[in-house]
Amino acid sequence: MSISKTEIEKLAKLAKLSFSDEELERFTAEFDEIIAFADTINQSIEGGTEEIRNVGARMVSFDDLRADEVMPSLPNEKILSNVEGYNGFFSVERSKK
Amino acid sequence: MRTKISELAKRLRNREISAVELTKAYIGAIEKLNPTLNAYVHLTFDTALNAAEQADQRLKEGDAPLLCGIPMALKDNICTDGLNTTCCSKILKGFKPYYDATVWEKLKAHGAVLLGKTNMDEFAMGSTSETSCYGAPLNPRNTNYVTGGSSGGSAAAVCANLAVYSLGSDTGGSIRQPASFCGVVGLKPTYGAVSRYGLIAYGSSLDQIGPMTNSVKDAAIVFDAIKGGDRRDQTSVDYDYGSSLAECLDRDVKGMRIGVAEEFFDGINPEIKSKIEEAIKLFERNGAVIENIRLPALKLALPVYYIIACAEASSNLGRYDGIRYGYRTSSYTSIEDMIVKTRSEGFGDEVKRRIMLGTYVLSSGYYDAYYKKACLIREEINREFDAVF
Repeated sequence: MSISKTEIEKLAKLAKLSFSDEELERFTAEFDEIIAFADTINQSIEGGTEEIRNVGARMVSFDDLRADEVMPSLPNEKILSNVEGYNGFFSVERSKK
Repeated sequence: MRTKISELAKRLRNREISAVELTKAYIGAIEKLNPTLNAYVHLTFDTALNAAEQADQRLKEGDAPLLCGIPMALKDNICTDGLNTTCCSKILKGFKPYYDATVWEKLKAHGAVLLGKTNMDEFAMGSTSETSCYGAPLNPRNTNYVTGGSSGGSAAAVCANLAVYSLGSDTGGSIRQPASFCGVVGLKPTYGAVSRYGLIAYGSSLDQIGPMTNSVKDAAIVFDAIKGGDRRDQTSVDYDYGSSLAECLDRDVKGMRIGVAEEFFDGINPEIKSKIEEAIKLFERNGAVIENIRLPALKLALPVYYIIACAEASSNLGRYDGIRYGYRTSSYTSIEDMIVKTRSEGFGDEVKRRIMLGTYVLSSGYYDAYYKKACLIREEINREFDAVF
């Protein structure tokens, strides 16, 4: 199976990434190889069970979880220490007037 | 000369050397060799010297733990309050976390001396450390060779004696493989044994933090210091090992059952195979019982890992939006445009490739064929392991 450039563009949109035309060509070609590798999971397993256990079978019950506790939060100024904050908020330039 | 933790601890206690002197010796070695080896990407010498002074005080008072005053290193994806933690990615350049990872909190309480943060593949995605935005570290045993990865800097630092021990992280081989390439000891602890609070997430159902050291005993000592349940990592458990791992190593192997899976030897290098066979014989001579076992589903472990890790990464790395972590594109026309541009400029090619594959295997139409199928095969691998134990 070969993936099309349109499909790669759609995936990039979902992943919030963009590619130049040159990158898009390269990624599309590489992607076929990557998917071919992922497809190797379709080999049969010797002695493997036909219907493998449901993934949901290992759900954690709410009874297994600890009760909620109120704990102090980190101070605003620490959380904003890596960015240019504004009055204790994260700031983003206004893009819609 | 590479020295064991217990040996250094003895010298520190006998006042043959102080923690400050020891730290200065390591700083000197790093200044000399790191420009070539590129094992460290952030140096924390001031913090190290302060910690060493405090360690000397504790050693003087006589209540110091074994790791007190021992210089060490952390992989660049383990959060250190106020100190650079960048996952060797442009998108986190200059990022200083505002809290400590649990493993670092624990080691600090033991009096550990942090020399710096070590080089790695960007977001731990790779097996050569070449995807680091700071350039690859070199293998100290032969600088024409790679260190392996993703914890390549942690392995190189220990190998070149630029740290007594280091911590790495392992999702699909990232501690064990570089340890092997650099000829040091690497331990990926059982999932849940060590808290990942403060480890920057890659594939959360697989990520574990573990030690990289010069000896098996050292690995056990460091594991003992970092293990245990943590309320901030729901997957971590307080397991009763009966004794410390370091003590376990002194036990007799007589009567111990060791399973040797045929599948582990598929495509193995003949030299390595013969070394492993020698080790098996050594165990046998000492009274261990060797049993040949089969784990047929293991042949699918690599593609299963790749699918699951990429799926989880595509979700985990969704947080890098240009708002919370420092790096942001210089010009944009909308919020969406800002997020897309920041991510496209900030992530390297390998990270993008894995996010794209993760997005693909989770997208409707492919979810059942890849992600769900991979989870089912993982269950099958689990079942095979359960069956032999």
